Amino acid sequence: MLGIDDPQIWIAYLLCLLSAMGCILYGIIHWNDGKENEEGC
Amino acid sequence: MAVSTPVLGIVVLIYLMMIFYLGWLGYKKTKLTEDYMVGGRKMHPYILAISYGATFISTSAIVGFGGAAGALGMGLLWLAVMNIIVGIFLAFVIFGKRTRSIGLKLGAVTFPELLGRRYQSRFIQGFSGILIGLFMPLYAGIVLIGGARFVETTLNIDYDVAVLILTVIVAAYVITGGIIAVMYTDALQGALMFLGMAFLLTLTYIKLGGVVEAHQALTNMAYLVPESLAKGGHLGWTSMPVFGSPIWWNLVSTLVLGVGIGVLAQPQLAVRFMTVKDDKALNRAVLVGGPFILMMTGVAFIVGALSNVYFFDKLGVISVVAAKGNIDLIIPEYINSAMPDLFVVLFMLTLLAAAMSTLSSQFHTMGTAIGHDFYREFLKNGEIGQTVNVTKIAIPVTILISVALAYILPISIVATATAIFFGLCAASFLPMYTGALFWKRMTREGAIASMLVGAFTSLFWLLFVHAKEAVPFGISQALFGKATLLGGTWAFVDPIIVATPLAFITAIVVSLLTKPIPQEHMEKCFGK
Repeated sequence: MLGIDDPQIWIAYLLCLLSAMGCILYGIIHWNDGKENEEGC
Repeated sequence: MAVSTPVLGIVVLIYLMMIFYLGWLGYKKTKLTEDYMVGGRKMHPYILAISYGATFISTSAIVGFGGAAGALGMGLLWLAVMNIIVGIFLAFVIFGKRTRSIGLKLGAVTFPELLGRRYQSRFIQGFSGILIGLFMPLYAGIVLIGGARFVETTLNIDYDVAVLILTVIVAAYVITGGIIAVMYTDALQGALMFLGMAFLLTLTYIKLGGVVEAHQALTNMAYLVPESLAKGGHLGWTSMPVFGSPIWWNLVSTLVLGVGIGVLAQPQLAVRFMTVKDDKALNRAVLVGGPFILMMTGVAFIVGALSNVYFFDKLGVISVVAAKGNIDLIIPEYINSAMPDLFVVLFMLTLLAAAMSTLSSQFHTMGTAIGHDFYREFLKNGEIGQTVNVTKIAIPVTILISVALAYILPISIVATATAIFFGLCAASFLPMYTGALFWKRMTREGAIASMLVGAFTSLFWLLFVHAKEAVPFGISQALFGKATLLGGTWAFVDPIIVATPLAFITAIVVSLLTKPIPQEHMEKCFGK
């Protein structure tokens, strides 16, 4: 995969990209959640 | 270096003019104590995200860790995964939201004040303040040295003068403009860093013939791993080291401990959660923070590892050899040798920005810790007038200590300064910070006990057991005639592994044995 034989490395490579994409998705999905008077969490 | 000094000088000058403009904007917008300390709690989410990331990532994270990837390979990408998931996602979504909300309800303007007010203890605030004020200069010292070395080599300025120039410039905008100036300048510096790293990744892949081709070439180089590294468990730059081998332990412990634990309890990062208006801003910041960190550590690790392919094609040697055995020189050597001149200028600016953005937050946090938390709130019980004025005096004092430490301490101690500070923060603050946000049963006594146990176990381990620091400090040798009190594997176990769990256990046991915090205070912290 991706010119890398060891799955422990290409999984990390993909996870980097996926987790960054996950952050983007989270931001988009929760774009308007948690306005001033709401106490999220 | 390839680029002429005048060209770089002009670019740096333009950059500094922009920095001063942003610093001036911060000064103009700072009217109240809350503005100076937490940006009036209304910073823009993107500025928060980039400022957090730019503070998180110093020059050493790019050059030092990138160089480490040049030697150890892409296994370090797990660190980038942790940086994004723990350092950004968990930090913002789980810790950040509660920190913001409790900080606002209690009117806290610093990290020690948040802890002190949550546990109704001036001692916690004062002790945390003094701990930060004493040990953060060590961490700032190493960032200052890194930044000054950069200025020295690229602009041909004497090292001592470089330290002075860098200190005065950063101090000027931190002292006058407070955290607004720090975060505005961080945002510019972060943008430069993002741009620099994006170009670096793209140009590297283009130069090596494409993504898969570059990786494949690196995979094919596994037979070139030097004998000494192969014995330690190194199997190639696109393979994890042998499970349980010394290199494996090095990689995994750095990853899990250095970042997974350490980053969550960093005062200069945690205070940023209190600079935004609502949880919406934190949600939006995650969108920017994740990709930003990917472009920092992720790119540094990929490029660091791939530099082996470049050096082998060009010189017939691996990166460590090309850098004459000094892994800190792998990234600079690679940039100077492989990248076009114009990019060298951009990357030099990236490194300067990385150093300045970390330094400015350190100056601000040290100053507020000593001026506000320790002196004004703890010693003077909040009696003396303006927080801002006291902090403005404390910032130069702590800066002078940083500069003095950078000169006085032997390089062997300064080199481990970041680890010392991260470890100390994790052990002293993480249990009571986590408890403050998520465990209502945690008591003031539990918090104080965990902080003291964490701080002193960590310091004891550093000075008497962990060989990396105990040997250069020499206190164990002077008192007991032995370099370290415990031998064997113990001498290699990082203080964080011993002190942090011990502090967590202390927090739980002491809390369960003591009287809970009154209900009305808990309602004040968490709402009804």
